[in-house]
Amino acid sequence: MDEKQLVALARSGDFDAFARLIEANKQKMYGLVRRLAGNEQDAEDIMQESFLKAIDKIDQFRGEAAFGTWLSSIALNEARALYSKKRQSDLKPIEEYLPGSGSHGDDHQDSLRLFDWQYPHKMMESAELKSAVDEAIAELPYMYREAFLLRYIEELPVREVAELTNQSVASAKSRILRARLALRDRLSQVFEDRYGKKVS
Amino acid sequence: MAKKCPDYIQDLNDYLDGGMNPELCAEIESHIGECENCRIMIDSLRQTVTLCRDGSEEPLPEALDKRLSGLLRDRWKKKFGKQRGQDC
Repeated sequence: MDEKQLVALARSGDFDAFARLIEANKQKMYGLVRRLAGNEQDAEDIMQESFLKAIDKIDQFRGEAAFGTWLSSIALNEARALYSKKRQSDLKPIEEYLPGSGSHGDDHQDSLRLFDWQYPHKMMESAELKSAVDEAIAELPYMYREAFLLRYIEELPVREVAELTNQSVASAKSRILRARLALRDRLSQVFEDRYGKKVS
Repeated sequence: MAKKCPDYIQDLNDYLDGGMNPELCAEIESHIGECENCRIMIDSLRQTVTLCRDGSEEPLPEALDKRLSGLLRDRWKKKFGKQRGQDC
């Protein structure tokens, strides 16, 4: 039975059909939600609320998008509602990720050098590396985290990221780039502290 | 850092993810050949995404999975009543 048939059955009240749709999507959805949330407790709350909302709204789902996409859009709304209540800091402007554009003057030559990562997966244990990456993602302000994850983990085109986040394409592009630069910056600090030596 | 680095930074994602016009792409590649910081920046931005993808698999906790199953059945029953396909 294909997804459209399952959706039709679920809309008519067939729980098994709905359960099969959830079963096919829950693992992937948790991967996204866990990183969107940044912690397990919020992730559980978002999963729970999203699935319950999916039941409440199943009769409104017309199947224009894939069921998984529809479910993700519900989860994004839930996460956004949760994090819009929390104070979020902003990221620095794009240009400031370049060496020498911050508070250091030209006489601080050392600060003008970027740290060369080489091969982090060879320099650090994989669990430690994963933990550093997870923490760096969790530190991103929500609107940047969301844009980054949709683009690079969900692998959506920028246009779809813009639609799902209610942004213009230009704004979504900017958020994705700023998130990527901020993550790079944070990880660079971690790697330099952990195994670094300035490039000479 | 070379004079033109700030001119490139806005376009880095297009360069890294594809979709950049070939002329600008060639210009950036030529610049990377001469600018160590931009080479490092591009290499580490590429690795940033790879590292995030590598660790993105998170298994759904068993306890949460069980709890969700129960909640879904209860909510379904409330919305539709006991219907076809629901044996609880």
